[in-house]
Amino acid sequence: MKTEERHAQHELCIPYVFGRLNPGNRKQFEAHLETGCEQCKRELSDLYEATALLPLLLKQEAPPSGLRQRLFSRLSTKRTEQPRGAKPAPTPQREAVEAPVTKAPPHSWYLYASMVMGALMIVGLLLFLNDQLRTTSELEKKLSDLQVQVQQKQDILGILQAYSVEMLQLVSVEAGSEASGKIFWEPEKRRAVLQVVNLPAQPVDKQYQLWLMKDKKYFRVSEFDVNTEKSNVFAVMTLPVGDKKEIEEFAITLEPRGGSTQPSGVIQLRGATK
Amino acid sequence: MQQNTLAQRQQCDREDADLLRRIQRADQRALATLYDRYAPVFYPFGLRITGSHEVAEDVVHDVFLHVWEKGNSYSPQSGSVYAWLIATCRTKALEKTRATNQKRKGSNADGSQQQAAMVSEEKQSGQEIILAFKGYTEEVRNSLKNLSKLELRLLELSYYEGQSQSDLARMLRIPLGTIKAKMRRGIQKLRQASAQEGKQP
Repeated sequence: MKTEERHAQHELCIPYVFGRLNPGNRKQFEAHLETGCEQCKRELSDLYEATALLPLLLKQEAPPSGLRQRLFSRLSTKRTEQPRGAKPAPTPQREAVEAPVTKAPPHSWYLYASMVMGALMIVGLLLFLNDQLRTTSELEKKLSDLQVQVQQKQDILGILQAYSVEMLQLVSVEAGSEASGKIFWEPEKRRAVLQVVNLPAQPVDKQYQLWLMKDKKYFRVSEFDVNTEKSNVFAVMTLPVGDKKEIEEFAITLEPRGGSTQPSGVIQLRGATK
Repeated sequence: MQQNTLAQRQQCDREDADLLRRIQRADQRALATLYDRYAPVFYPFGLRITGSHEVAEDVVHDVFLHVWEKGNSYSPQSGSVYAWLIATCRTKALEKTRATNQKRKGSNADGSQQQAAMVSEEKQSGQEIILAFKGYTEEVRNSLKNLSKLELRLLELSYYEGQSQSDLARMLRIPLGTIKAKMRRGIQKLRQASAQEGKQP
C-alpha cells in the first residue's frame, strides 16, 4: 500500500472510534487494519484509551443491588450447565484388552425404546420446569423494580396529597431560557419535591444546588444532577424550615460538585414567596 | 499530579489484568471485584447512552456476562482492560439503543442466596481495589478540567449519541470547521490526560 493511502486510512481512526464511518468505509478500514498497519493500531489503541476517560466524568452510581445477584445467579446456572474454564473430565483410558463382546439379549429393543421414551419425558419435564422458573424469575425482577418505583411515587404522592401542601413556581433569570421549575412542599413535615424542566445538563465538575432563603440568608437544601430527560423530578428533600411565612425565596444555582455552603454561582432558577 | 495519575492508572491496569486472568480461570470472586469497581461507571454510562435505567441495567449485566464468557477475547496489545470494557459497554449500549422499540431482553435470576453470600465476601476483600479506582477517577476529572464547555459537549454528543460532525454543526448552529477544530482539540486534551500521554514530560 502506498504511503499516501496509509495516511488517508490513518485519518479514519477518529471517526472509526466514534462510530461515524459508514458501513463501506468501516469495512475498508477494518481490511486495512488486517494488513497489520502498526501506525493505525497504535493510534486506535491511544484513542480508545483517551475516549475511555469520558465515562469517568459522569457521576458514578451503582446499579440496583438486585443486578449483582441476577448476574451471579446467571453464572451459577451456566456453570451448572457446563463448567467453564475447567478441563473436561479425563476420558477413561480404553482398556488394552477389549472387553468380551456380549450378545444383546433377545427383545432388547423394548428396553432401548423404553429408555428413549423415559429420557424424552425427562427432557420435556426439565424444559417445562426451566421455562416456568425463568418466567417466575422475570416476574420477580419486574415486581422488585415496580416496588421501588411505586415507593418513589408514593413518597411524591405523599407530599402532593398532604393536607396542606405549598407550591412555588421557579423561573429562569436568564432571558430566552426555557428552563423552569416547581417546588412542592409539606410545611409540617418540611418535605419537598422539586421538578425542573429544560434545565441544561450540568458540566462534569458542577452540580445544581437548591437553596432556601430565610431572613435574607440562603440555606442549603440539596444538590442534584439533571439527566438528559426534559423533565426531572427529585424527591424527597428536607427543608430547613417549612412555614411559607418564614421562606422568602427558593433558588437554584450551579455550584462546584459536592455543593457549597453559600451560593457562589449564577442563579439559574428563582421563585419568591412574596 | 500527572505522574500521580499515571502511577494510579498503571496500578489499576495491573489489578484489572490480574482480575481478568482469574476470571478466565472461572473465579467468580474476581468477577465480583471487577463488578464492584466498574459497575458504578458502566451503569451511568449505559444510562447516558440508552436513556433508560432498565436498559442500562441490562447493558451492565451483558458486559459482565461477556467478560465471564469471552474474557479471553481481550488482547493486551490493543490497550488496557478498562478501555476494552468501556468499548464493550458502549457497543452493547448502542446496540440496545438501536433496538429501543423492540422487545427488551429477558433476564434470568434464581435468587441464589449462596452465591450472593459468596460474592459479598469478595466485596470486602476488594474494597481497596475499588477505592484505588475512585482515587484515579478523581485525578482524571481534575486533569480534564481544561476541556472547554464546548469541547466537552461535542465529545459527549459524538461519543454517547453518535452524532456526526455535520449533524453537530446543524444542531448547534456552529460552522463545521469550528466543530472539527474543537473536536480535534478536545480529543487532543483527552489524549494528553490518558496514561500514554502522561508518560511524556
